[in-house]
Amino acid sequence: MSEKSEYESKAQETFSAERKEDVFVLVLSTIAVLLVMFGVIGKDTVKSLFF
Amino acid sequence: MAGGGIGVDYSLKGLPRMMPGLIVCFILGWLALQWDTSIHKWSGDFKEAEKIMKAEKEGKPFLPYDEYKTKKSESFAKKQEEYKAKMEAHKAEVAQAAPAEAKKLKGPEKPKKPHVLNQADYEQLTKDKAIPGKLSFGNLMIEFQLTYVAVLLLGGMLIRNTIGLPEVLRAGTVAARPLIKPGIVILGAYYLWSNVLKVGVFGLVMVLVFVMGTAVLISIWGRKAKVDDGLSGLMSAGVGVCGVSAAVAVAPVVNAKPRDFFYAIGTILLFGTLGLFTFPYIGQALNMSQPVFGAWVGTAVLNTAQLVAAASWYGHESLLTANIINIVRVSFIPLIVLWAIYFYVVKPAAAAGGSSEKIDAWQVVKDKFPIFILGFFVMVTLNEFGVFTPDQRDILGKELLKIFFAVGFAGVGLNIAFDDLRKAGGTAFVIGFVAASLKAVLAAVAVIAIGTEFFSVH
Repeated sequence: MSEKSEYESKAQETFSAERKEDVFVLVLSTIAVLLVMFGVIGKDTVKSLFF
Repeated sequence: MAGGGIGVDYSLKGLPRMMPGLIVCFILGWLALQWDTSIHKWSGDFKEAEKIMKAEKEGKPFLPYDEYKTKKSESFAKKQEEYKAKMEAHKAEVAQAAPAEAKKLKGPEKPKKPHVLNQADYEQLTKDKAIPGKLSFGNLMIEFQLTYVAVLLLGGMLIRNTIGLPEVLRAGTVAARPLIKPGIVILGAYYLWSNVLKVGVFGLVMVLVFVMGTAVLISIWGRKAKVDDGLSGLMSAGVGVCGVSAAVAVAPVVNAKPRDFFYAIGTILLFGTLGLFTFPYIGQALNMSQPVFGAWVGTAVLNTAQLVAAASWYGHESLLTANIINIVRVSFIPLIVLWAIYFYVVKPAAAAGGSSEKIDAWQVVKDKFPIFILGFFVMVTLNEFGVFTPDQRDILGKELLKIFFAVGFAGVGLNIAFDDLRKAGGTAFVIGFVAASLKAVLAAVAVIAIGTEFFSVH
C-alpha cells in the first residue's frame, strides 16, 4: 500500500472514529440528563464534591 | 475540531489504555474546580468585607457576629416578602393584558441570597480592622481571571512542556478532550428556540461572511502562491471552519499527505492556542460585553476546545453565545467538504476538459455532519417544552457542565506541546496565519458594531 493511500484510509478511519465519538457523547449526555431529571444528581450533589 | 480529539474510539477494548490518563484528568479537573470554588467564595467574601469596612468608616460600629448574621437574614426575609408581593402584582397584570402584551411584561427579579461571612473571617476582620489576606487573594485571582479554565490550561501546558507527559498517560489525556462535547450538549438546557434563532441568524451571517470567506480566501490565495492542493485545502478547512475536525473531513478530498496534515494541524493549534490565551484579555481591553465576546470567539478562535475554553474564561453569558455560533460553525463542515470537492476536484477537472465523478452532495452531508450537535437541539426543544425546572437547568448548564469542561480542559492543557506547534511553517503557515488574523480583526469590528443586544441569549 502506498504512503498516500495508506494515509487516505487512515483519514477515513479517523473520521469514522469521530462518528463513534459523537455517539459516545450523545449517550453520556443522555445519562447525565436522566440522572438530573430523576433526581439522582440534585441541587447539592455537585457542591458536596468540594469544600 | 469539535471537542479537540481526533476521533477517540471509546470502546471497552481501548479503555484500560485510556484509564490512567483519564484518571489524571479527573483528578486535575477536581483540583481546579476546588480552586475555582474557593476563589469565587473568597472574592464574594471580599466584597462583603469591603461593605462592612465602608459602613464602619461611615460611623456604623461592628456588630457581634450573631447580630450581624441575624440582621442579614432579616434583610433577606424582607426582600423575599417584597418579591412575593411584586410577583402577585405581576401575575395580575399578565392575566389582564392581551397575550401579545403579556409576553413582553417583565417579572420582578428574584432576590439573591445574601453573602454572609463565616465567623472566623468576620471576627478577624473586626479585630484587625482589615480585610483578611485570603479574601483579597481570592478577589485578585478573579480579577486576573485565573479561574479553573486558566489553571487547567496553563497548568497542563506547563506540565506537558517541562516535566513532560509519560507515555502511559497519553491515550487517556487525548480521550479526555472530547468530554467537552457533552458539556456543549447539556448547555442546550439553557436556551429557548427564540434565543437560538435570534443569535443563530447573526451567527449564520458571521459564519457565512467570515468563516466561509476565510476558507475561500485561503483556497484561492494558496493556489496563486502555488501551495500544494493538499496543504492549502486542509488549511482552508481548518482555519476557516472548525480546526482539526474540518481538516480531517477534507483530507481525503484534497489528497493531503501526512506532512500537509502536520503543517495544517500545527498552524490551527498554534493560532487556536494564541487566541485562547490572548482573546480574553483583548476582549477586556476593548470593553467587550460577554455576549459580544462570545460572538467574537465563536467566529475567530479556530478549535472548538479552545473556543469553549476562551468563552468560559470570560463568563457564562459569553459561553452561551459562543456555543450557538460554534454549533452553526461546525454544521458547516459538510459545506466546506463540498467546497473542497468543487475547488480541488470538479473545477480542475473541468478546466482540463475532462469530467469528474458525480458528487452525491446529500451523501457528503450525511457522512460529514457532526451528529453530536443534534443532542444540543434536543436539549433546547426539551427546555422549550418546560421539561426542566430552573434548578435542573442550573445543575445541567452550570454545575455538570463545569465537571465535563474541567476534565476536557485538563486533557487540552496536557496536550498543548510546543513541539506540535513548531510543526507549523512555510508559505501555507503564513497564508493561514494572515487569514486567521484578518478574520479575527474583522470579526471583532463586526461584533462590536452589531452590539450586545443581538448576541445576548437572555
